[in-house]
Formats: sequence, structure tokens, C-alpha cells
Amino acid sequence: MNKLRIYPKKLFWRLYWIILLVSLVLDFFWLYRHAFHYHFSFQYLPQFFAIFGLFGCMVLILIAKAMGIIIVVDEDYYQKNRAGRQDDQQGGQID
Amino acid sequence: MISKVVKLISWIHPGLVICLGGLLIPFIPSRRLKQVYFLLLPLAGLTILVLTSMGRFGALTPWPESLHLWRVPFLHYTLDVVRINKLSLLFGYVYVIAAFCMNIYALRVKNDWEHVAAMIYVGSALGAIFAGDFFTLFFCLEIMSWAPFFLILFSGTKKAFGAAVRYILWHHFSGVCILAGIVIHAHYTGSIEFAHMPWGWGGKYLGSNLILLGFIINAATTPFHSWLSDSYSEATPSGSIYMTAYTTKTAIFCLIMTFSGVPLLMWLGAIQAVFALFLAVLENDGRRLCSYHIISQIGYMVAGVGMGTEIAINGAAAHALCHIIYNALLYMGAGCALVVVGTAKFDKLGGLYKYMPISFWLYMVGGFSISGFPLFNGFISKTMTIEAAELIQNPIIYLLLEGATVGTFLHTGLKLPWNIWLQGRKEPPAEIRAKLKDSAVNTPVHMLIGMAILAFLCIFLGVYPKILYDMLPFPVTFVPFTLTRVFTITQLFLFAFLGFWVLRKLVSGHPGYVLDTDWFVRIPGRLFIKFCQGPLLSFGSFLDQQIMRITAMVVATLRQSQLEERLTPMAIGYGVMASIALFSLFLIFKL
Repeated sequence: MNKLRIYPKKLFWRLYWIILLVSLVLDFFWLYRHAFHYHFSFQYLPQFFAIFGLFGCMVLILIAKAMGIIIVVDEDYYQKNRAGRQDDQQGGQID
Repeated sequence: MISKVVKLISWIHPGLVICLGGLLIPFIPSRRLKQVYFLLLPLAGLTILVLTSMGRFGALTPWPESLHLWRVPFLHYTLDVVRINKLSLLFGYVYVIAAFCMNIYALRVKNDWEHVAAMIYVGSALGAIFAGDFFTLFFCLEIMSWAPFFLILFSGTKKAFGAAVRYILWHHFSGVCILAGIVIHAHYTGSIEFAHMPWGWGGKYLGSNLILLGFIINAATTPFHSWLSDSYSEATPSGSIYMTAYTTKTAIFCLIMTFSGVPLLMWLGAIQAVFALFLAVLENDGRRLCSYHIISQIGYMVAGVGMGTEIAINGAAAHALCHIIYNALLYMGAGCALVVVGTAKFDKLGGLYKYMPISFWLYMVGGFSISGFPLFNGFISKTMTIEAAELIQNPIIYLLLEGATVGTFLHTGLKLPWNIWLQGRKEPPAEIRAKLKDSAVNTPVHMLIGMAILAFLCIFLGVYPKILYDMLPFPVTFVPFTLTRVFTITQLFLFAFLGFWVLRKLVSGHPGYVLDTDWFVRIPGRLFIKFCQGPLLSFGSFLDQQIMRITAMVVATLRQSQLEERLTPMAIGYGVMASIALFSLFLIFKL
């Protein structure tokens, strides 16, 4: 059972790396053959979309994590901030 | 009179059928009968729409002309209650089909009134898209803003109550903006037709701008998007599914009808598409994450409306349709975890795959669709909007929209399934495990059926887009499956996956709450209330005391007897003269 579970994982990674390499090669090949029809000149840069995908994804995560230092707060942030208000004991305020 | 009535019933409004039919649900005695009836309502709507597009109620005209059916005199205007064109039919179709799948998903909900609220919601949304004048539209939008209030409220938690109140406050604000805009517009132009409006900056366009503001709040455009993630994540599991589809997409419909080609919208939409993704990275709650993706996807549509070219409008409409389908599917997937184990928080889940594999794969269909994989329906609509950005030669808009594709795949295709179903675990954490049965079908079957129909539609439209393209307002020359596009997007996703895998520890769930733009409303608002309750009230009471003191003093002085003798008619005359002089001075300076 254990072996069966690990095996597809290995297969997946092997396939993944092969497809990745093939895509890199194909990109050069089709660019050379002028098979692509883009609208902007920067799209014709070799491996533009590979770099865009990889770095776009990583930059997105890293910037968001940096933002998170400020904007991630306790789960009861809005409830806690209200503590000590006069109307809290009366249960009058809603939010 | 009779001819008028006959004219009125020349078309049966599917919205009216669903709305009024929904009201009867609690009064049906048998449970089984109730469920059947509940499923039949959207089918009835679908039948009417099919008959309409077959031309039973009058020949349909090509876009942008419309078929006007119910005209009712009102004050000195004529209400154009039903106006059918290609776009409203397209939205109508997807509304009733989505409602049918959602009804299947919500079949076992115990609270009948939740069904009623949902059906009124669907019905009023249909009313809004078939409205031909602003008054009818406003009326339907108002009903539409109230129905989800109850869907949130029925969650029953204190948090949900707060979210519901905040939700309705936002929508009252947008409603007031729209109404004010309509009144100003009607006053200046004398027309209440729900049609394309002139737009610009400055006082001349005040009415248009107010209506636009109302619509973009409804469409959850940045910076007014926070109500969406706030309220959708607190609604009942099945109630939130309905909410994903109707409010925002009706707003998109309204924007297409009135403000297509407004450059402001193009920028707002592109920024919205990316901005929501940053917040989604930090999100720990599955349903809130999906909410940010609704916001992000609406960005594509808003940008499409803003570009205003034929292909962009087509793209916006097609994307709205596809979005309703796959987003309902995503929400259902996250909702499955919520229904079965009681939470959708990432830090508490993981390893559910062993117990809920079917819902995982159905969810993944939605995940691939929203990311825009070839052969899934996101691909055929999203690429249209991106192509439109390329065709207007705007590289910044293009890069923002293409970048948002990467981010979308990162979250809904990778982060959410990874955190809920996998996380590299074979078993979920112990307290979650205790709630699961030892079978692969933990999710109720009716939920899976609802999801399966939507998943089928995702793939069907993705493989055979012609059926969708034929229904779009403008003729479509766009071919989605070209070598360039398929190869580009595949490579983009392959490398995005690599990026995700490298940084996967960073995107795992951490408990916490992500502050949003509503901070600027909630905290200053709270400070304002605090200010009113503290300093302002004490100042008020201080003022009150002083005035009372002065009055008491005056009264005491007047009571003294010698004053009465001094108050002669002469003195009174002087007093009157002085006040008249003061008043005339005031008039001179003021007028």
C-alpha cells in the first residue's frame, strides 16, 4: 500500500520535469519558426511566458507576505477593538 | 382594459414566476413534494426563456435592438418592464440554469425561508436584467439587495448578523446613489430608458457618475469590494452559492448596458483583478479566498466593459456566464468541507482527499476553469478579454490581466485544494477525522449532483464554445484554440506551479484576519460613533445645562417685580425696532 502511494508521486514529478523541459525547447523552436502571433514586441522575447509565470507567481506571494506583516491581524480584531465601550455591556452595538 | 390585460400576459415573466412561486414553498405540506417543486421553479423559468428565444412571444431582434413587451404608464413616464435582447437572454439563461444546480445543492436545507429568500433573489435578478427602464431596474435591484441579507442572517451566528448589517448598509448606499443618479438623469434628459449613458467628469455628468458609482459598488470594484468577501463568507453554506452568482453579475450587465467604453472602468477592472489576489494569498478561510477570486474575475469583466470594443463586450458577457458556472462550483467545493467537517479554515484542514475524493475532483474542474486551462470554460472567455486588451494595444492592462491569470491559478488551482484536501497528509487532523465517516462519499449525494452538472457545463462549454459564442451580442470571429494561446497559457501554468511549489510553505494557512479596504470605513466610523457618544454628548449636555442656567436666570430676573414697571410700551417698541433692523440687515447682506 505504501509503495503504491509513493509511486504516482514520483511519476508525477518525472512527468512534470519532462514536460517543463519540452515546453522550454518547443518555445525556442516555434519562435524560430515564427509560429507565434503576438501583439506586443515583449511577448516575442524567448521564454517570456515561462519567466512571467515563475516570477509573477513568486513576486505575488512575496509582496503579499510583506503586506501581511501589516494587514494580517487577530481574528477577533474588530470585536476586540470594541472592548471597553459603554454600550458593549448593553449589547446595543452591532458590527 | 381587457386588451391591456391580454397584452400583459403575452409574456410570462420568469422572474415573477420564480419570485412568487418561491413564496409558496413553506406552505407545501409534504417534504418530497416541496423538493420537487423547488427544483421545478427554475425549470419553469428555463422553459419560458426557451419559448422566448424560439420567437413564441414576438420575433427577436439582432443586438442592440430589443423586444419590448410589457409597457405600463407610470406618472408621466412609460415603464418598460420587459425588454428582451440578446444580452439579457444570455444572462437569463445562465441565471436559471445556475439556479437549478444551486437548488439541487441546497435541496436538504431545513429552513424553508432560506429557499424563499433564494428564490426571491433569483427572481428579482431576472427582473433586473429584463428591465427596460431605470425605475423598474431600481425596484428590482432593491429587492435583490434585501434577499441576500436574509441568506446571511440565517447562519444564525453573531458574526453573520454583523456581516448582514454591513452588507445591507453598503447596498443601501449604492441604492441611494443609483436612485439619486436616476432622478438627476431623468430631470435633465426627461428619459428613464435603461440605455447607454454619456459619461465624463464634471457637474454635467453628475447623474451618470452617481449611477456609475452605484453600479461599481454592486460589482465589488476596488476600492468598494470589501463587502463581498465580508458577507459571502458568513452566509449559510448553500445561501452563499446563490450570492456568488447574481448581485455582481447583474451589476456587470448594467454596466454593459449603460457604461460600455468608459476608460475609467478599464483601469479599475485591471487593478481590481490583481489587487484581490494579494489579499487572497494571505487568506486562511476557503470561502473568503473564493470571494477574493470572484472580485478578481469581475475585474476582467469590468475591464472588458471599459474597453468597450465588440470583442471586449463579448468577452465580458461570456466571462460573466462562465464565471457564474465555475464560481458556483468552487464555492460548492469549499462549502462541502464546511458542511461535512464544519470549517473551511486552512490551518485546521488538510488530508481530506481520502474521504472526499469526488468533491476534490469536481472542485478541481472549477479550479482549472477559473484559471483558464485550455478545454475548460474559463479559457474560452478569459482569453477573449485578454485578446481585447492586446488589440487596443495597451500593454499595462494586458500584463495586469495576464498576471491575474497566474495568480488565479496559484490560489484556486493550487493553494485551496492543497490546503483543504492535501497538504501532503494522508489523514486529516484528529478533530476533523472524528467528524468523517469511513467512506469515500462523505459529501451528501445531492450536493455532488449539483456540482457534477456544473462541472459538466464547465467542460462542455470549454470543449464546444460555439454554443456560447452564438448567443453573444456581437458576432464572434475570435478563435480560442490557437497554437500561440494554448502553448502560452500551458507554459505560464507550468512555471507558476514551480513557483508555488518552491514557496508552498508561505501560502499554507495561518490563523488570522486580513484587513481590507473596509478598514477605512469601519475604524473611522467607530471612532466617529465613539466621538459622538463621548465628547459630543458631554458637550451637548454641557450646552444644555448652560442654556438652562441662563434661562433660569432670565426667568428669575423677570419675576422680580420692579422689571414689570420698566417694561413700558416704549421699551417694547424699541425692542421690536431693533429686531426689525437686524432682520433687514440680514436680508440685505444675504440676498
